[in-house]
Amino acid sequence: MTVAATAAEVGPNPPAAARAGRRARLRAGIGSVAVAVVLLLVAVPVAAVVLRTVRPHGEWDPEAFGRVLSSARTWRLVAVTVGQALGSSVLTVAVGVPVAWVLSRFRFRGRDALASAAVVPFVLPSVVVGSAFATLLGPRGLVDLRGTWWPILAAHACFNLAVVVRTVGAALDGLPPDMEAAGRLLGAGPVGVARRLLLPAVAPAIAAAATITFLFCLTSFGVIVILGGGRVSTVEVEIWTRATRQFDLPGAGVLAMLQLAAVVATLTVHARISRHAARATAGSPGTRRQRPRAWRDRSAVAGAVLVVAAVSVAPLLALVERSLRVGDRLGLDHWTGLGSAAAGTGLAVSPLTAVATSLGAAFVATAASVLLALPATRAVARRPGGLGDRLLLLPLGVSATTIGLGLLLAVGRPPIDLRRSVWIVPVAQALVAIPLVVRTVLPSLRALPGTMLDAAATLGATPRARWWRVELPLLRRPVVAGAGLALVACLGEFGATVFVARQDRPTVPVAIERLMSRPGGAGFGQAMALSCVLAAVCAVVVVALDRWVGGETGPTF
Amino acid sequence: MSIRRSSLLAAFAVASLLLAVACGDDGGDASGGGAEGADDQRTVVLLTYDSFALPEEAAERFEELTGARIEVRATGDAGSMLTGALLAAGAPEGDVIFGIDNTLATRVLQEDLLEPFTPDGIDAIPQRYHLEGELGRLLTPVDAGDVCVNVDEAWFEDEGIEPPSTMEDLASEPYRDLLVVESPVTSSPGLAFLLTTIDRYGEDGWQDYWKRLTDNGVRVRPSWDDAYYNDYTVSGGDRPLVLSYASSPPAEVVFGDLDEPRSSVMTDSCGAQVEYAGVLRGAEEPELARELVEFMVSETWQEALPLANFVFPVREDVRLPEEFERWAERADDPAGLPPELVEERRDTWIEQWRELME
Repeated sequence: MTVAATAAEVGPNPPAAARAGRRARLRAGIGSVAVAVVLLLVAVPVAAVVLRTVRPHGEWDPEAFGRVLSSARTWRLVAVTVGQALGSSVLTVAVGVPVAWVLSRFRFRGRDALASAAVVPFVLPSVVVGSAFATLLGPRGLVDLRGTWWPILAAHACFNLAVVVRTVGAALDGLPPDMEAAGRLLGAGPVGVARRLLLPAVAPAIAAAATITFLFCLTSFGVIVILGGGRVSTVEVEIWTRATRQFDLPGAGVLAMLQLAAVVATLTVHARISRHAARATAGSPGTRRQRPRAWRDRSAVAGAVLVVAAVSVAPLLALVERSLRVGDRLGLDHWTGLGSAAAGTGLAVSPLTAVATSLGAAFVATAASVLLALPATRAVARRPGGLGDRLLLLPLGVSATTIGLGLLLAVGRPPIDLRRSVWIVPVAQALVAIPLVVRTVLPSLRALPGTMLDAAATLGATPRARWWRVELPLLRRPVVAGAGLALVACLGEFGATVFVARQDRPTVPVAIERLMSRPGGAGFGQAMALSCVLAAVCAVVVVALDRWVGGETGPTF
Repeated sequence: MSIRRSSLLAAFAVASLLLAVACGDDGGDASGGGAEGADDQRTVVLLTYDSFALPEEAAERFEELTGARIEVRATGDAGSMLTGALLAAGAPEGDVIFGIDNTLATRVLQEDLLEPFTPDGIDAIPQRYHLEGELGRLLTPVDAGDVCVNVDEAWFEDEGIEPPSTMEDLASEPYRDLLVVESPVTSSPGLAFLLTTIDRYGEDGWQDYWKRLTDNGVRVRPSWDDAYYNDYTVSGGDRPLVLSYASSPPAEVVFGDLDEPRSSVMTDSCGAQVEYAGVLRGAEEPELARELVEFMVSETWQEALPLANFVFPVREDVRLPEEFERWAERADDPAGLPPELVEERRDTWIEQWRELME
């Protein structure tokens, strides 16, 4: 608004000013339309789920609520879901905070590698992390923990390590450089410094990271489907089981609403916490990092290296190793077999076809989500905390299975039947990716110095020129980062895609799940090879991203 | 920022869009034509469960007759397969669906899943396999078999334990941690066994029986493949009692190249199962679909079924293979609840079972 006003005031002559005003209105219009489209895209599947729940056979009949909500099993499931999410968060914090401290405190050879290793699993698809831990903690791995919660907790810790390391690391870096030294000088031991100075100082950041981890574990799907083996379940998995195994769509709908409520509650708590956490001061972290000299420091570094190796490197190595194991020998059979649809593996197409399908769908979905998210984000960025801003947070609250189920119900029967269309998978993935792009771009858009735009306007730049020559270049990093993250998220998307992907057009995560769920182990090796391929594709995207825009951009929640 | 940078960005955006469109088309084409879409040969897609094995020679005969190839698309166990089909009703992922059994049959009425079709050969099938009313016009019976607990005789001999013979035995101490069954949620033999227990112990007693089974260490697997190939001692697992079919023992003889099977069938646990086929509404090849269902009740297919899938053909005028004559058992009086009762109570029972067991 202010920009448009400025443009109008300083325009060199009246016709041009009028033109600029029209353009500004047009742009604002596009922004509002984009916000509306994003909301509609999320609201339609949610509405479809609700409708199917209260009108299962075309007439009002909310029997599912009573049936599901009165079942003791439902509440056991809720308890287990919350319990595993809490456990995972505690484990992730316990592992992540020391690693963050070591990374923030010391400089040593391999520090960058350690930092990368800690955050890489975050961008890996959930089914890949799941199958990695299925190998490590499965029948032929280190210990066989199948059917217990341990592999799931470990996988969640691996997955979310990045959240804790990034968030807490930033808070630690922002502390006054001399705080620890001052504490020591005043007579506190290392434990005392940690307990009485560091922990209170970064507690809000830890709480924020723990809440986000909790949220991700609450809605975790791929990891639990792969590692649960049908024996352990959560609300998110139960939505899927009820819909696709029991054909109890109203029951699935009730659980989806329960899940929605839980996620919204978590997001609310997080919004409160992160308001405190955001007040970290910018320090100059690089200069005060020391070489670990004392044995205590050295062992801390060694400990962090070991922890990261165990939590995030070992599973991936196990994945590669298992993809090369053919019976009792090593071989490339699982890799060379990727080109053909092998009988008995449960896949209708070759794994490589699934890779092509995945890439195609992910590119379309990424392009669509960026094109939609950018104008929408611009529209809401002007008024932080405004209605648009809050509305745009809503998609974050809808879990992937709810989107998948809702999409299937909304556009999966006449008059609109997209079930046979190649577009339904990209649509599902775009819905999941849009919040990621919004969350990545929004902070940078807000941080954009308004004076610079005003200056450009004063110098006679047209709105289009300002957008093209000033705003866009400044936004290049977050936009590219958002697109990259969206691409990775789409490539790994499972919870929504699994509902809408057809048998003859599986994406890679769907194919991996299908191969893994086939008993007898015929498809296991191939699933591992395919997981490696998917992990490699995601790694390439992230490394390219890192080279181009630097590693510090990511979604803010 | 320079103009070069921003044009680079624009170029990237355009390039990624082009690539996206290109890849999108690619994915569509590669799958649109099916696995071997290179030639013009027509295919009829048979939607079925994981453990189904296509009788190769019969399939070749079908190809000679119609010029069309049968493509098998397996999607999990029978329960999952049917739900998948229901979610895709009207835009099916195949032309014919096979493997819907008597315990699940009434579900096909829900989403208008099937096109009515009655093959000419229906009269050759004994009346007791036919379904009544609307269902009978949609579903064609193809094979039958009893779902029974299989006993690894050799294992019990080695351990010096008397094999179990009654349902009560399964829940008693000597047989602790020995039984593996399938989940009635996903698996049709699993559901058949649940119905057997309800038939035996009544609406009031079956939950107690399952409680006792649980206390006795029963293991539940999502699918028949899982239970039979991973857990059953005959396949190298650790459970000598598995919920399978009365016709599984001859399979051991054929596949294991044995003189006689390792397993026997515990007839007290048997429940009747009939499997049906139907033409999916919205099939891409409706004509071929009808021809395939017709072919499934022909002598060729019926005779080939036993050794491919280890089930009994529904036609009684076809010759049974020797292994079947010798080793397959049929219970005299397999459990079976009235279809109307099953239809009415099935989903409640499944819900109650989940409440109890999961």
